[in-house]
Amino acid sequence: MAATHADKVHVFKEDVTRALGDATLKLAIDRTTVTAERKRAAALVDFPEFAEARRRGTAIKNHVVANLDHYLEQFERNALASGAHIHWAKDADEACAIVIRLCRAAGARSVTRAKSMLGEEIGLPHALAEAGIERVETDLAEHIIQLAGETPSHIIWPALHKTREQVSELFKAAHRDPHKVEEVEAMVESARRELRDRFMNADVGISGANFLLADSGAVCTVTNEGNAELTTTPPRVHIVTAGIEKLVPSMAHAMAMLRLLVRSATGADLTQYTTFHTGPRRAGDRDGPEEFHIVLVDNGRSRMLADHGLREMLRCIRCGACMNHCVVYRQIGGHAYGATYPGPMGAVLTPALEGVEKAKDLPHACTLNGRCQEVCPVSIPLPTLLRGWRDRSWKEGLVPQAMRTGLGLWRFVAERPRLYRLGSAVAVRAMRLFRRGGWIASLPLAKSWTAYRDMPAPAGRTFMEQLRDRERQGGRQP
Amino acid sequence: MSTRETILDSVRAALGRRRPDPAAIAAEAAALLADPAAIRPALPVPDPVEAFALRVVSPKVGATLERIAALGALPAAVARYLDAHGLPHALALQPDPELRALDWAGYALRDTARPDEAAALGQALWGIAETGTLVFHSGADTAVLNHFLPLHHIAVLQAPRILPYLEDYAALSDPAPRNANLVTGASGTTDIEGSYVRGAHGPRFLHVVLVG
Repeated sequence: MAATHADKVHVFKEDVTRALGDATLKLAIDRTTVTAERKRAAALVDFPEFAEARRRGTAIKNHVVANLDHYLEQFERNALASGAHIHWAKDADEACAIVIRLCRAAGARSVTRAKSMLGEEIGLPHALAEAGIERVETDLAEHIIQLAGETPSHIIWPALHKTREQVSELFKAAHRDPHKVEEVEAMVESARRELRDRFMNADVGISGANFLLADSGAVCTVTNEGNAELTTTPPRVHIVTAGIEKLVPSMAHAMAMLRLLVRSATGADLTQYTTFHTGPRRAGDRDGPEEFHIVLVDNGRSRMLADHGLREMLRCIRCGACMNHCVVYRQIGGHAYGATYPGPMGAVLTPALEGVEKAKDLPHACTLNGRCQEVCPVSIPLPTLLRGWRDRSWKEGLVPQAMRTGLGLWRFVAERPRLYRLGSAVAVRAMRLFRRGGWIASLPLAKSWTAYRDMPAPAGRTFMEQLRDRERQGGRQP
Repeated sequence: MSTRETILDSVRAALGRRRPDPAAIAAEAAALLADPAAIRPALPVPDPVEAFALRVVSPKVGATLERIAALGALPAAVARYLDAHGLPHALALQPDPELRALDWAGYALRDTARPDEAAALGQALWGIAETGTLVFHSGADTAVLNHFLPLHHIAVLQAPRILPYLEDYAALSDPAPRNANLVTGASGTTDIEGSYVRGAHGPRFLHVVLVG
């Protein structure tokens, strides 16, 4: 059985408390997400057509999802014609079993892997270890977290939670010829030296897919490091693991999606290396794998398709913009979510993949500020989908009693305007007793809030009181 | 029932239909590609060759560029580049007949790049002005690894092969090669604290020689 994150015991509140207490983590998260946010914004300045491109991208993915049966069969037909082998996997265990069987059939001792979130989702790293097959992660960030024995904390920057000092220590302990100066350039070079012969000597290369092209059977991978091509070219066997929602009708549609994906992910216009793989090595080819296998993985996706809300989540192209712009993700980082996919998209996807009972806290890790939906390149209504999960967990009785009682009490007051106004008038005055220069550093009954940040002190009087005054003075009504 | 059938059946059940209508689907897919100008950035200058030349040296791509009048001037241009970087006149040279027909006297040449190759030279099949991209197709005279193993990736591109937009390449991609490699700059990573470093696994330098 392949172990996924769900098998580990994650207590969301404890993970969050640990994350919030970790100042280094906050620094590391900010270093990458702030840059990502700035770069994306700059990229959109040069792309005034973004709004229309986004509408089109949304329509392309909706079209694929609405015709998924057709595109799966068309892709399969064309991939088989190109000489690829197609495998179908209902769930994570089946997918891992297929990959392990293919690796064993190839007599694989060592496999290289180019980062794939689907691979993480199905627990492939663990399955390979259990099968006794050496796994070499080739994406620099995946290499870092493999050395640290950790899991990704972001879908684009898996090692975003690591500082350069931590990376330096890991490389010095593990690399055969490590860096001598404490500079990021030297560390990157150390990894380059370390992984060179691993690439060339691997028996099997495993990659994910950013897009599957139905009309040609091609698999598109994108990287900035070039590690996907170095992973998939030298070994005798290339295995692709891909979710069934990765289809697009043709390369032209893939190009339209790439414009959205890359800008949203890193702020570049196109990844440095964008490769379309069609079938195995051909007669006369100078290099390339002799066998090309594609594992099409359902793992809950057809179930999401049957749900009209979650169907929208199948548009997701895994760019990571929602987490870069999420106030919650930026406070707690990816690991606190306790799942393969963190941030807003993860909080929607994880309950769908692993069940709402296991992930009932995640849809509450959201302020509903709507930033994620705003930046989503395929307009997924993430806040609405999160509310859907909250609704479901309420109905299924998964919300803790203290919260149910609290909400019941709030409802009682909110339904009685006089009582509500009286309560808020008392509260705003009481809260001002704790203020220091416009801010409240510590507040009884709200310690868990003020432990990590200050609360702005409220104005001396409530909104309704101020409004009444203005009306009395005959001022402009809002 | 096979897993394939199980998955396809649950997809069809979710979509609430028995059989798709391929003609209607194809028409809808084609309509989604209408008016491409509305969903892509316009070229900064109308001429694709000039747009490519501007783009490839911009910080977005970060390559270096030399323009030569004719392919015959390539060996001398490559020599200038190697000399500027203090590299010996040794190359993994793509066994492309057009390139091999040039005068490489004084060069040590091999067909395929070694894992620690300093420099490789290949001819790009197409250029894409929109993104400053070079397109290589794998084949009998093009090893994929030649674009990924060397520290210095030198690419020669003939001006008439420059297409304006990504879709223009997509329209030409049939029949598909085993690998179509779209190269837009040198290898880079931002995986350590978001700081940008070149030469992660692939080339640290991309140099383009544009002919014509």
